[in-house]
Amino acid sequence: MIMDNKIGLIVMIETDVLVIGAGPAGSTAAKHAALGGAKVILVEKKSEIGAPKRCAEGVSKEGLKLLGIEPDPRWAVKEIDGIRLVAPNGTDVWLNDEIKLPEAGYILERKVFDKFMAMDAGRAGADIKIKTLAKGMRKEGSGYVVTCETMGELFEIKAKIIIAADGPESHVGRWAGIKTGTKAKNMESGVQFEMCNVEMEDPDVLEFYFGSLAPGGYAWIFPKGNDIANVGLAVIATETDKTAYQYLLDFVDNCPATKNAKAVELNIGGDPVGGMIKQMSDDNVLVVGDAAGQVNPLTGGGIISGMTCGMFAGKVAAEAITEKDYSAKRLSAYDKKCQEELGSKLNKYLKVKDYLSSLSDSELDSIADAFQNVEFEEISTTELIKKLIKVSPKALLKLGKLF
Amino acid sequence: MIVKEWCMYCGECAGVCPRNLIEVKETVLVFDDEQCKECEICVKCCPIDALEKN
Ligand SMILES: Cc1cc2nc3c(=O)[nH]c(=O)nc-3n(C[C@H](O)[C@H](O)[C@H](O)COP(=O)(O)OP(=O)(O)OC[C@H]3O[C@@H](n4cnc5c(N)ncnc54)[C@H](O)[C@@H]3O)c2cc1C
Repeated sequence: MIMDNKIGLIVMIETDVLVIGAGPAGSTAAKHAALGGAKVILVEKKSEIGAPKRCAEGVSKEGLKLLGIEPDPRWAVKEIDGIRLVAPNGTDVWLNDEIKLPEAGYILERKVFDKFMAMDAGRAGADIKIKTLAKGMRKEGSGYVVTCETMGELFEIKAKIIIAADGPESHVGRWAGIKTGTKAKNMESGVQFEMCNVEMEDPDVLEFYFGSLAPGGYAWIFPKGNDIANVGLAVIATETDKTAYQYLLDFVDNCPATKNAKAVELNIGGDPVGGMIKQMSDDNVLVVGDAAGQVNPLTGGGIISGMTCGMFAGKVAAEAITEKDYSAKRLSAYDKKCQEELGSKLNKYLKVKDYLSSLSDSELDSIADAFQNVEFEEISTTELIKKLIKVSPKALLKLGKLF
Repeated sequence: MIVKEWCMYCGECAGVCPRNLIEVKETVLVFDDEQCKECEICVKCCPIDALEKN
């Protein structure tokens, strides 16, 4: 028993590093902190890590490789070898050579993937506390004391370093005085059906649909099998009076691929697309993943970037524990590493996202028309943007200096 | 705040709450109504219209 309710004694557990949230970023941070020799506890409020999913489940092969993760057919359920971009009037652009787009490569089964990543953390030595909610924290001595609740009982965990990996809710950073909350204009409201009977043009290709069918975002069809796909979209709620769900119902009704499709699952969730927060660490605290805005603003993809920064956080935390220095100055090595690896890339993509969101449906249609005659040397986000700048004088004006 | 029975506890409301007042348990949302300034950003952002002002 963790707490004796009758006499009100709250048990306190001590650890070096407490990771709050067992999403991909948190599990990766826990794994690397444990591999670095720190005593680690990973807490997750849900009863099943990875479920329900809040994700279209696309990741790049390159990203997994850089993280040293071998794709496993139990969670890498579909290999992707192309993309199809669809303009509001239906004009499409096909790119199916070697894929370098951040979200292309594999479609995951997140319910399995997230669990496997947590298992990796467990095998590396992290203690995992499932169905355990972090409720608040206070500074005490050389660390923080976090109040947790599990199965109706309260207990406390005292840790020298807290890694806040609590996803788009991002409470923990704010408890520590770090500005992690997301402004409504930077939060994409995502909603998705997993469907069967989807009649895709090519079941190995990711489809992206742009324009007023998803204000501030886009719609997608990400295949998970020959007739199975994640069909979803994201909108910026402040740009419309309709809910994301209403947009999805319209999309499914109107898209030829989903006319006969049947939903077997509904997923929803927020995706912070405003870029990485300026300060990601402080005395005794590191913030990782969605909680720190480590998401590609253009695509909304945050699995690989969150895990990459999770790895940096875990490593920095373990080093800080060895050196017995948990100061903001020591932990700022984490901010530096994230900025070096991701900072300028995410900033550029944020500008491209803002630009694309400003285009009308007819402007998007003309870009798709102009793309018909373009030869792509390589399929990467940067290459796409470079070509966009070539075909659109407005893009040249807005983005020319960046790429 | 009234939480409709179709709420899926995705937590988007908590992320956009400017005062960090919404606790998201696995199947319960807890609002700190006393501190709430009724900005209704949480209501606006819910992807499935599951929140309503009291
Ligand atoms: C609709 C949609 C589609 C997306 N599609 C893609 C895609 O195709 N590719 C891609 O790369 N990214 C995609 N993303 C983004 C991606 O899902 C996130 O970037 C990624 O999950 C972030 O990982 P994370 O570990 O930071 O947070 P999360 O995965 O959100 O994990 C946070 C964890 O913390 C737990 N938690 C929260 N608060 C507490 C607490 N107080 N105590 C204990 N536990 C807590 C949560 O239960 C959760 O398990 C999508 C997002 C959405 C919404």
